Amino acid sequence: MNEKKVIFAFKDIHIEVEGKEVVKGVSLEMREGEKHALMGPNGSGKSSLANALAGHPNYTITRGEAFINGKSLLEMDATERARAGLFLAFQYPLAIPGVTVANFLRSALKSKYNGDENILREFRKELNEKFQALDIDKVFATRYLNDGFSGGEKKRIEILQMAMLKPQVCLLDETDSGLDIDALRIVSKGINEFAPKDGAVLLVTHYQRMLNYVKPDKVHVMMAGQIVRSGGPELALQLEEQGYDWIEKEVMKAVEV
Amino acid sequence: MTTQTTILEKVKIGFRPLQPGEPDWIYRIRREAWDRYLEQPLPERVQNIWRYTAPESFLAKNIDALMNLYPVVPDGSNGKPYPVTPEYAAIGYNLDNRMTVTKMTPEISAKGVVFKDIYSALRENEGFAGRFLGKLVGASFGKFEALNLALWNTGFFLYIPDNTVIEKPILMNRHPGGQFTMGRLLVVVGRNSEATIIDDYAGECRLEDPAANSVVEIFVGDSSRVRYVNLQRLSSRCSSYITQRAQVEQNGSLYSIFGAMGSALSKVNAGTILNGKGADSRMYGVLFGDNGQHFDYHTMHHHKASESYSNIDFKVILKDKANSAYTGLIRIEKETANCEAYQENRNLLLNKGTRAESIPELEILADQVRCTHGATMGPIDPEMLFYLESRGVARVEAVKMIVGGFVEPTISQIPSDLQPVLRNLVLDKLGSEL
Repeated sequence: MNEKKVIFAFKDIHIEVEGKEVVKGVSLEMREGEKHALMGPNGSGKSSLANALAGHPNYTITRGEAFINGKSLLEMDATERARAGLFLAFQYPLAIPGVTVANFLRSALKSKYNGDENILREFRKELNEKFQALDIDKVFATRYLNDGFSGGEKKRIEILQMAMLKPQVCLLDETDSGLDIDALRIVSKGINEFAPKDGAVLLVTHYQRMLNYVKPDKVHVMMAGQIVRSGGPELALQLEEQGYDWIEKEVMKAVEV
Repeated sequence: MTTQTTILEKVKIGFRPLQPGEPDWIYRIRREAWDRYLEQPLPERVQNIWRYTAPESFLAKNIDALMNLYPVVPDGSNGKPYPVTPEYAAIGYNLDNRMTVTKMTPEISAKGVVFKDIYSALRENEGFAGRFLGKLVGASFGKFEALNLALWNTGFFLYIPDNTVIEKPILMNRHPGGQFTMGRLLVVVGRNSEATIIDDYAGECRLEDPAANSVVEIFVGDSSRVRYVNLQRLSSRCSSYITQRAQVEQNGSLYSIFGAMGSALSKVNAGTILNGKGADSRMYGVLFGDNGQHFDYHTMHHHKASESYSNIDFKVILKDKANSAYTGLIRIEKETANCEAYQENRNLLLNKGTRAESIPELEILADQVRCTHGATMGPIDPEMLFYLESRGVARVEAVKMIVGGFVEPTISQIPSDLQPVLRNLVLDKLGSEL
C-alpha cells in the first residue's frame, strides 16, 4: 500500500518566532495522492508550521529538514518554494490594492513559469471555468485582490489560486474558518476537484466539519508544538466528540511514565 | 546665497531698456513685475507652503545674463523638422535657445484654434491675450512669480474658441536647456469646448541656475471640459519651480494630472479656482522620488461658487533618501452653498531614510459643505510581499506589483487615453531602480 512515491516530507522541524520555540520537532511524510489533516487546539503550532514551511520570514526553522519531490526545501526562499510546487492557502489572505484578481493570477502564473507566455494561452477560459466551479461571480476577476472581500470570498479566492497555479503540495491553513455551511461545501468541493491528484494536501484545521467533505487519509494531532498522535479519519471524529482534553491527559500521563 | 539676496535688495538693479519691436505695454508689465520681485522679501519659512524648501534655491543668480534672454520669435520656416504625429492635434516645442515652435493639424486650425509662442500671441492680440496675462499668477502672487512675469523668455499661448471639441491632446514639450528657462503658458478655453493639454517638462540643465521657473494660467469657460497633464521628468540635476493656476467657470470641469518624477528639487504650486456654479475640479498626482530627490507639492482648491466640486488624489512613492512634502489647501468661501471638497494623500516609503510630510489645510467658511481629507504613510507591508512570493512571484516583481497597485486606483480614475502615460512613468522609474 505504501508503494507510492513520497511527495512531501519533513523531519524534526523546530521553529522559532521572535526567539520563542513554537514548534518542537515535528515530522511527517506524505505520499502521492494523500490528504492529511493536521488538527489541534489554538496555539498548538499548526499555523506556524504551515507558514514556516512556505518560507514566511517571521518564522525561523532552527532545526530539521524538508523535502518536496526529493528536493531540499529549506535552502529555498519563499518564491523558489512556490516554484518547486508548494502552495500555502492563507488563514488571513492579504489584500493587494490596485492589482486585479485576473492580472495577479496572470502575473503569478507567468512568474512561476519563468516568463513562459504559453502558460497563458487558455488563461481566460480556464479562469472562467474555475470561477464557475467555485461559484465566484465573474466581476471578481476585475476587482482588486482581496480588497474589501468578505472572509468567505477570500477563502474561495485562495482555492481559486490553488486551482489556477496547480501546485503539487497544498498547505491549507484553516481554509474552513469563517465559512458558512454553503461556502464550506463549495470550497471543499473545490479542494476535492482541484487539489493535485498526484500531489499531497495538508489540511490544517481546528474542526472536523470540513473533513466531512474533504476526506483525509490520515489525521495528526498537534499540541504544544509537537505531533502527539496520528491515526486514520476516525481520530478526527473522536476529537469532534470528545474535544482535545483526553489526548492532553493521555500525553501528560505518558510524560509522567 | 544670502549675500546675493542682500546685494539684490540694497542695490536696486534697474530693469533693462525697451527692446526694438517690444510693445510698450509688455515692457511696462515686465518692468513693474521686476520692481515687485526686488521689493518682495524672500518668503518666510513659517507658512506650510515654504516650510519644507529653502526659497534661496529659486533666486535668479546670473541677473545680467537673464535680463538679456528674450523670447526668440520663430521665422517663417516655422519648424519643418517638427511634424504633428498622428496621436496629437498639435505639438509645441520650447527649445533650448528659447525659440518656440508650434504646429497644428489643419483640422484644428480651421476651427479657429490659436496656438502660438506666447510672445507673438501677446504682440498680435494685445486686446485679447493681454487681458489674461498675469491675471491668475501675477507679480503680487509671490516673489518668484514676479520674477517670471518680469523675465519670461519662452512659452505658449493656446486659445480654444466656443463650442470646439479637440479630441486629440495638444502636446507641449518644454525643454529647458543651457539657460534659465522662464516659461509662461497661457490657455484660454471658451464656452462648451473640450481640450487636453500635455505639458511635458524634460531634459538637462546647467547646475548654476534653477532649470525652470514656469507659470501656467488656464481659463476654463462655461461648460467646457479641459484636461491638463503636467509631467515633470527633468534630469536629476535640475531644480524646477512651477506655479499653476486655473479658473473654472459655471459647469466647467478641469482634470489636472501631475506626474512628478524628475529634478533634484521640484517645487510645484498648483491650484484651481472654482469660480462658477457647478464647477468641477479634480487633481490626480503620482509622484515618485529616488536618490536624494526633494519634492514640494502644494495644491489648492478655492471654492468661490456654490455647488462646486473638487477632489484630490495624490500618491507619493519614495525610495533611497528621497523626500516629499505635500500640502493641500481647501478654501470654501462663506457665500457658497453645497460645495463638496475631498482630498487624499497616500505615501509609500520603500525604505528607511525616505521622508514624507502631508499637511491638509482647510479653510471652510461656509456652512453647507461636504468635505473630507485623509493621509497615510508607511512602508510596503512585508506580509503582502510574502503573500505574493508564496505564489511564485519573485521579490522584484512583487515590489513592482505592489507599487503599481499603489498608484493604480489613482491612475484608473484619469481618462483612459492618458493612463498609459503615467503608468509608464512609474514603471520606467521602478524598472531602472530595482
